[in-house]
Amino acid sequence: MTAPLLDVRDLTVTINRDGRLITALDKVSFSVDPGEVLGIVGESGAGKSITGAAIIDLLVPPLKRTGGTIALAGERLDQLAPKAMRRVRGDRIGFIFQDPMTSLNPVITIGRQLCDTIEAHLKISGDGAKKKALEWIERVGLPNPDVQFKRYPHQLSGGMRQRIVIALALCANPALVIADEPTTALDVSVQAHILQLMRDLHRESKTSMMLITHDLGVIAKMADRVAVLYAGRVAEISPVNELFNAPKHPYTHGLIRATPMPSVNGEVRLDQIPGAMPGLGAVPPGCAFNPRCFKAEGDCCSAVPPLTIRESVAFSCFHPLEKEIA
Amino acid sequence: MLNYAASRIVQTVIVLLVISFIAFLLVANIGDPLAALLSADATVTERMELIARLGLDQPIGTRFVHFLGNLLQGDFGLSYRTQDPVAKLIIERMPATIELAFVSLLITILVGVPAGIYCGVHPNSLFGRFIMLISTAGITLPNFVVGLLLIAVFSVQMGLLPSFGRGTVVDLGFWTTGLLSVSGWRAIILPAATLSTFQVAFIIRMLRTQLMEVGQSEHIRFARARGLSEARIWYVYAIKNTLLPVITMLGLQLGNIIAFSVVTENVFAWPGLGSLFLQSIQAADIPVIAIYLIFVGLVFMVINLVVELLYPLIDARVLRRQS
Repeated sequence: MTAPLLDVRDLTVTINRDGRLITALDKVSFSVDPGEVLGIVGESGAGKSITGAAIIDLLVPPLKRTGGTIALAGERLDQLAPKAMRRVRGDRIGFIFQDPMTSLNPVITIGRQLCDTIEAHLKISGDGAKKKALEWIERVGLPNPDVQFKRYPHQLSGGMRQRIVIALALCANPALVIADEPTTALDVSVQAHILQLMRDLHRESKTSMMLITHDLGVIAKMADRVAVLYAGRVAEISPVNELFNAPKHPYTHGLIRATPMPSVNGEVRLDQIPGAMPGLGAVPPGCAFNPRCFKAEGDCCSAVPPLTIRESVAFSCFHPLEKEIA
Repeated sequence: MLNYAASRIVQTVIVLLVISFIAFLLVANIGDPLAALLSADATVTERMELIARLGLDQPIGTRFVHFLGNLLQGDFGLSYRTQDPVAKLIIERMPATIELAFVSLLITILVGVPAGIYCGVHPNSLFGRFIMLISTAGITLPNFVVGLLLIAVFSVQMGLLPSFGRGTVVDLGFWTTGLLSVSGWRAIILPAATLSTFQVAFIIRMLRTQLMEVGQSEHIRFARARGLSEARIWYVYAIKNTLLPVITMLGLQLGNIIAFSVVTENVFAWPGLGSLFLQSIQAADIPVIAIYLIFVGLVFMVINLVVELLYPLIDARVLRRQS
């Protein structure tokens, strides 16, 4: 078994709201192997984006990392000084932001933003950086790199901007890319193109990827393994086939059934999970999912189920689903 | 860009025409030149002749065109108070005011901009809070109080700097400058500092707010996520997003100082336009007031024009909003 590239153990993030500490991320553990795409799914507010931001230490206050370890290729990121952390960002971990409309600096040209990023990490500058920037503009599929180089973000469409965001995240050849809802803000047809681009780039570079999304369709298309988050905790981590064919956690099961999918006779089946995910600070005792779970029993309300590992699958549930149910 | 510049210039000219028209109405409607020029026992014929000679029987449009024509030829009329040409009065006073305005702008830029950036980048630092505290005083204290305080401390108590006048001025033919002599520089420090107190405080607070807001934006987070240095993030990526409102305010403030430094000029007996304006108002010297009004309009419009022509260089999105 290869050593994981990224290993996150018991990552805990809290939010200080008027002196009251609220747990936003509760002992989240997972790992990403070299070259692997790990999908992170969950509803809004489940802690997906917080997980991504916590890894590169870019949490927006009052969110604060208060526990756990993060190791990248054996090096403890959680213990790095801010200056050393800056060198990890962009260089070893690239981050693709969600909304291309707001994540590019509006008053600086595409070319300058690329060159600045390249020069911050690679030992090239001036013409070398420009050449590299032009290469990347072409690599992410924009026509006429020379023209795009001089343009400002507002002169590009949303899809083109997201391609630039991807180029910016990848231009220093990071070992790991964290993509935070990279297609959520885009039109459906553009989404497909961007996903294809990310797949192609992933295949070429063998970069590991953490793909944060709420869209199971994106997961099915891109991920090797999937971590399901619920209310700031890991519900289940499974290889993507296992997840769709034999989910262990009732929440995963519900999540898959809540995705509209035409059945054999053409009807669209849609089963929603009753209730709503508890908000920050309102997580019930025991398993966070117990009030909505059809399999919940007494023990679910009294103790938090630990993450149980069974072969390639890990889940935190006292009463996991068996294969036949899905 | 050419379109943008042309449309800005046309707008400027239109506004100037409107201001000139208002100034013209002022001259045309306030006071009675006939009463001043005719003797008490003038006949009706004499009266009609004078009206014809002054063109007062012409329609208002024709008279305005005539007034504009005179303005363009440099004929600004005569002052009621001194009987001097208005142009001469204004040109005499202008250098003092403009030099004062530019020195105070310089102080604003040299002190206010760095301090504002510091407060925006380190809003919670002790020194940043200290600057903010001081700047509150700068915002609240009226100009004349600041001026009097400075005089009390630096002129009266310490005897370091003069409290009135421009010092030795050098006549360059078209311009009399106080900036070529030591005493001129010594004289300009206190009034310029007084004028810039508010501006400095204002720019600090504005830059701080702007920077704190930009610092929260997604594109700055993304720049951090790409590992750019803090210096580059703040001094290039963030600052460039705050420049538009800052240069707009600096421009307006410069216009304000040139046009309305009446109080400060009075406190320091500064021989500038402000004190000329005050004297003219006291003497109801309508031609001077009217020309001064046009001059103020011109100053504001030209500064504004320059600022607006700078916009596209800072933020190319301005051009898109045009089309």
